[in-house]
Amino acid sequence: MKEDFREEEKIKSAYDSQLMKRLLKYSKPYWKILLLCIILLVIVTGVNLARPYLIKVAIDDHINALDTPMIAFNKGESDFENKGTEYQDKIYIRENNLNNDYENQPRFQIINDKASHYLISGTIPDKVTYEIEENNNKTIIETENGKIFEGKKLTSQELTNFRKQDINSLTKIGILFLILILIGFGVNYLQIYLLHKTSQKIIYNLRQDVFSHLQKMSLSYFDKNPVGRLVTRVSNDTEKLKEMYINVLVTVFKDFFLLLGIMIIMMRLNFKLALVSISIMPLVVLAAFLFRRYARDAYREVRVKMAKINSSLSENISGMKIIQIFNQQKRKFKEFTNINNEYYQATMKQIKIFAVFRPTMGLMYSLALALVLWYGGGKVLQGALQFGVLYAFTDYIKKFFQPINDLTEKYNILQSAMAAAERIFKILDTETEIKNPENPAKVPEKIEGKIEFNNVSFAYEENDWVLKNINLTINPGETVALVGATGAGKSSIIKLISRFYDIQKGEIFIDGINIKDLDKKELRKKIGVVLQEVFLFTGDIKSNIRLNADWITNEQIKKASNYVNAHKFISKLPNQYEQKVKERGATLSAGQRQLLAFARALAFNPDILVLDEATSNIDTETEVLIQDALKKLTADRTTIIIAHRLSTIQHADKIIVMHKGKIREIGDHQELLEKGGIYYDLYQLQYKDQLIKEEEEIIS
Amino acid sequence: MNKYTYISFLKKYKWRYLLGVVWLIIVDGLQLIIPRLLGNITDQIKLETLDMSGIINYSLIIIGLALGTAFFRFLWRYFIFGTGRLIEKTLREDFYEKLQSLSTKYFNNNKTGDLMAHATNDINAVRMAMGPGIVMLADALFLTIATIGILLFTIDLRLTILALIPLPFLSLVAVKFGKIIHSKYKKVQESFSNMTDKAQENFSGIRVVKAFSQENEEIEKFAESNYHNYQKNVDMIKYSGLFHPLVQLISAFSFLIVIWYGGILVVKGTISLGDFVAFNSYLGMLTWPMMALGFVINRMQRGAASLDRLNLIFNEKEDIYDDKNINKNIKNIKGKIEIKNLSFKYKKEKEYALKNINMKIEAGETIAIIGRTGSGKTTLINLLLRIYNVKEGKILIDDHHINKIPLKVLRKNIGYVPQDNFLFSASISQNIAFDDPENIDFSEIKTAAKNAQVYENIIDFPDKFKTLLGERGANLSGGQKQRISIARALIKKPKILILDDSLSAVDTHTEEMILNNLKDIMQNRTSIIISHRISTIKDADKIFVLDDGKILEKGDHESLLKNGNLYYELYQKQQLEEKIANS
Repeated sequence: MKEDFREEEKIKSAYDSQLMKRLLKYSKPYWKILLLCIILLVIVTGVNLARPYLIKVAIDDHINALDTPMIAFNKGESDFENKGTEYQDKIYIRENNLNNDYENQPRFQIINDKASHYLISGTIPDKVTYEIEENNNKTIIETENGKIFEGKKLTSQELTNFRKQDINSLTKIGILFLILILIGFGVNYLQIYLLHKTSQKIIYNLRQDVFSHLQKMSLSYFDKNPVGRLVTRVSNDTEKLKEMYINVLVTVFKDFFLLLGIMIIMMRLNFKLALVSISIMPLVVLAAFLFRRYARDAYREVRVKMAKINSSLSENISGMKIIQIFNQQKRKFKEFTNINNEYYQATMKQIKIFAVFRPTMGLMYSLALALVLWYGGGKVLQGALQFGVLYAFTDYIKKFFQPINDLTEKYNILQSAMAAAERIFKILDTETEIKNPENPAKVPEKIEGKIEFNNVSFAYEENDWVLKNINLTINPGETVALVGATGAGKSSIIKLISRFYDIQKGEIFIDGINIKDLDKKELRKKIGVVLQEVFLFTGDIKSNIRLNADWITNEQIKKASNYVNAHKFISKLPNQYEQKVKERGATLSAGQRQLLAFARALAFNPDILVLDEATSNIDTETEVLIQDALKKLTADRTTIIIAHRLSTIQHADKIIVMHKGKIREIGDHQELLEKGGIYYDLYQLQYKDQLIKEEEEIIS
Repeated sequence: MNKYTYISFLKKYKWRYLLGVVWLIIVDGLQLIIPRLLGNITDQIKLETLDMSGIINYSLIIIGLALGTAFFRFLWRYFIFGTGRLIEKTLREDFYEKLQSLSTKYFNNNKTGDLMAHATNDINAVRMAMGPGIVMLADALFLTIATIGILLFTIDLRLTILALIPLPFLSLVAVKFGKIIHSKYKKVQESFSNMTDKAQENFSGIRVVKAFSQENEEIEKFAESNYHNYQKNVDMIKYSGLFHPLVQLISAFSFLIVIWYGGILVVKGTISLGDFVAFNSYLGMLTWPMMALGFVINRMQRGAASLDRLNLIFNEKEDIYDDKNINKNIKNIKGKIEIKNLSFKYKKEKEYALKNINMKIEAGETIAIIGRTGSGKTTLINLLLRIYNVKEGKILIDDHHINKIPLKVLRKNIGYVPQDNFLFSASISQNIAFDDPENIDFSEIKTAAKNAQVYENIIDFPDKFKTLLGERGANLSGGQKQRISIARALIKKPKILILDDSLSAVDTHTEEMILNNLKDIMQNRTSIIISHRISTIKDADKIFVLDDGKILEKGDHESLLKNGNLYYELYQKQQLEEKIANS
């Protein structure tokens, strides 16, 4: 079955509570760390939000605070002297540094006119204009509504004294800011690190679960599902879930806190201005969601076209010889150009969509900024709003936009994660077809090796019977050869003994125990299988004989190799048993691979041996070695061989001739030859060289 | 001489780039106005020279600027990113065109997967350099210079210098971290593909795993590489996770300086509150370009490395082409073939694949070549098709040396049915009419299909001739594929027809019918039939028995049987096989 790449991209609703619940289960063991991450995120958000606020405080309370009304005290009269400024034997303290006890005290204020500053007794509201008259040492200030104040011009030294507290405060704010950003830095890093590490761990577990589950599946599952697809499930789909854990699960909280925090701060600073600022948000959200749809479609199209380029490229590279022989370069080039062009158009469409969206978002921000300026600026002019607040608002709005911008991306991640989760859970929900018995029958360490087939019928696909009503008894220690044309059912028989597939009808017994009552692992441990296609794993020669069984010593490996005549060629390899096996053993000849497989089977010392003899081109020298190895292997061991060679067949205690799923002939070599049936013909075919020679001898 | 360089791209698309950069600079310029505006508003509020209409004016200016920014942003994105995509497109086109000019030898030495990687990863890296890379470069340079200029000349020298001290560290961090993260990321990818390989190997070898009850051990083994992948990821996040907090920290240092020192300057009256506000905004605008400056260095380097790899392919020498010795007067071929003392050795092999071959085939003859796997049959065909160049000995076609015949003429006149039956993922009729799909009409396709005995199969499909084939004809049986590729060759009405073991998956009855059809079609045309099966070739005019690169026997069926040599042996064996198959 070919998997369409579009299938992988199947649109899945972005949120499925069932799937989400199962996904969350995987994060449950880590809830403490995840909770910590969330707490850390709250701190990070707090730090991020503090900056505009600090600037606001710096502006309103310190930089812009020179005209704050003050109250004059005699020395020693107030507890807040350290916050005041000494001027002409009095301590002047800003009213916002004092409590309400002094409401009725007279106020003083510093006003400035051009480059000069004056300390006046009394206060002049913001919007009121005034004129200053200087006579000798006295300064008279008259406001537009006729009020008259007395003032003293301040020298620059005196002014500096008055400002000293502001500078000190600014330094304090600076230090506070420094501490905050350092905390922010540390906490943020810790949070990122913990979150990634935890997500990675969750994915590690999930991946392990999927892989382990697949190991339990029966061979028929692997027949039905191409290797590539299973690999994608294990590696890529889980990777998509990681994206979700990292970028969505916890960061959603961050965005939420950020938005909430900004709202709270803005509302507290100025409720109405806050409402004005966020009045544009519905528009922003709408734009973002509209965009998401277009962007997703465009993205899909780009992906699909890219896949098309790739499949066309790979096909044309593989078929280049045909293209060149048929002089089709021009046409194929045109075809490729068209596909490439389609891709280009798709990417241009994507560029256009983004080229509209990103600037639109920028425009929205400016719109919000203009609104705030218009409304807030007006309020500042009326004196109803401090300037620093207005400034902080422009900063906060900018921060408000970020999470909304990210929202669309998160939505996409969530969507593909859900699709991946669905595919993964589908695997985890598939139960193995070959079940282990609940109370497996006990088997001794060593079994005798009697095998019985009782009315066995078997089909890989329903009703397409590969084996029909097979009855067969193999006695302990016997060597049985299975003979027949391709598709006769020989391979099926040997697969059934190891219970790789379950039979539909009949029973199979080993030492009188139904194999369905045996533990699968125990059963397979007793049976050594050598398949015709020798599969070698990445690793070295040694590890390919031992597989993962650490109890097999190096000595045993050498002994087994020696026994099956593999030692000779292995010892000729540059690194002998440590020689790396490359590309699934492509550097070894078919015969050498076969010998390795024998060594592998022997190292496990099975009670029953099952072999599919290789037929591929093996040089005569190796062939002799293989025959010799076979002879040793089969001695004193129940052995079933799918036999291709006369020597094997001749030495067999029993020969079973199979044809179209049925046993047609059983007997030993001599019996069957005498019968003159299928076996006779097969035999002739195999050894016609000898026959021809014999005939020639007879003729001559 | 490299085919492409960054400079060559810039030259080729200079107007697009120039316009794109101009628009980018306009956008930057417009954006640079806003902080100044905010500063002015601040000062005017402070000095109480601003009224409501002034505020409305400012708001409108901001909206106006935003509209301009949005418009020009659209333009530069479209122009510069678009040019990047255009370069990607051109590169891929040229890449493919180049591949088409390379011979089979090249493809034998270079894995499809590697070539595919060049076509995707390397071309993409070049695009990233020439699209977003250029934007970053232009943006970073202009914004940095302009902002710093404005700050220096309009606000305060000392404050600017102090506030800018941390910023170069941003670039440094971006360069350094970019490199570290990239190398860590490579490690992650390695461990990921290692893990994928493990899974792949396990699933491919699942039969062995199950036979030896190795499931638990395999799970442990997988856990190892799974854990390795976990560790590599954690290792990467140690660095990549540091990047953003560090960037924030560094830019925050700048702000710290501005709040503290800038604040004091305002208090002291050295700069106005408006300057302070503007400064803050400008500083915010500088963070990105300083970072981009770092990124752009890495991106350009990576792109350049990819471009080098691509140029290597573009510079690859073609070895099979019409050289100056070609005889352009040869427009057609009659079909006489003469092979003289031909020997051939593949470059990487020690043994000769063909040893001193001599053959003479008259136009219109049907000849057959038979022999074991590896006897040199396909090599001989490869040389006839000029997939490889003849080095020792000669091949003459119509008495012309094969290298003097224009490649197109040679191949136009040969109908070739390959051993591996490569079909394309197109419809059946497109596959049969592969030679010239636009001009071959349907009746010809039908005739060819009938002659190849595949017509009945095709009309049994629900979509008949329109049936789409999967990749490499996945939804067809081996025999169907062979017969479709026979039809594909027959439709050319070739002067020379070559069947390279092309009937192996067809049953003997169908084979006989095809051979009968061929007899009529190939009258007066030369046929070369390669087969393992005697039944396929027994009626040929001449049969050559190839063994170990040499011609062992030649003659017709009867005479070869009389020889009692390899041909006779093969014949005997096949007779028996037939008997068993029919039992």
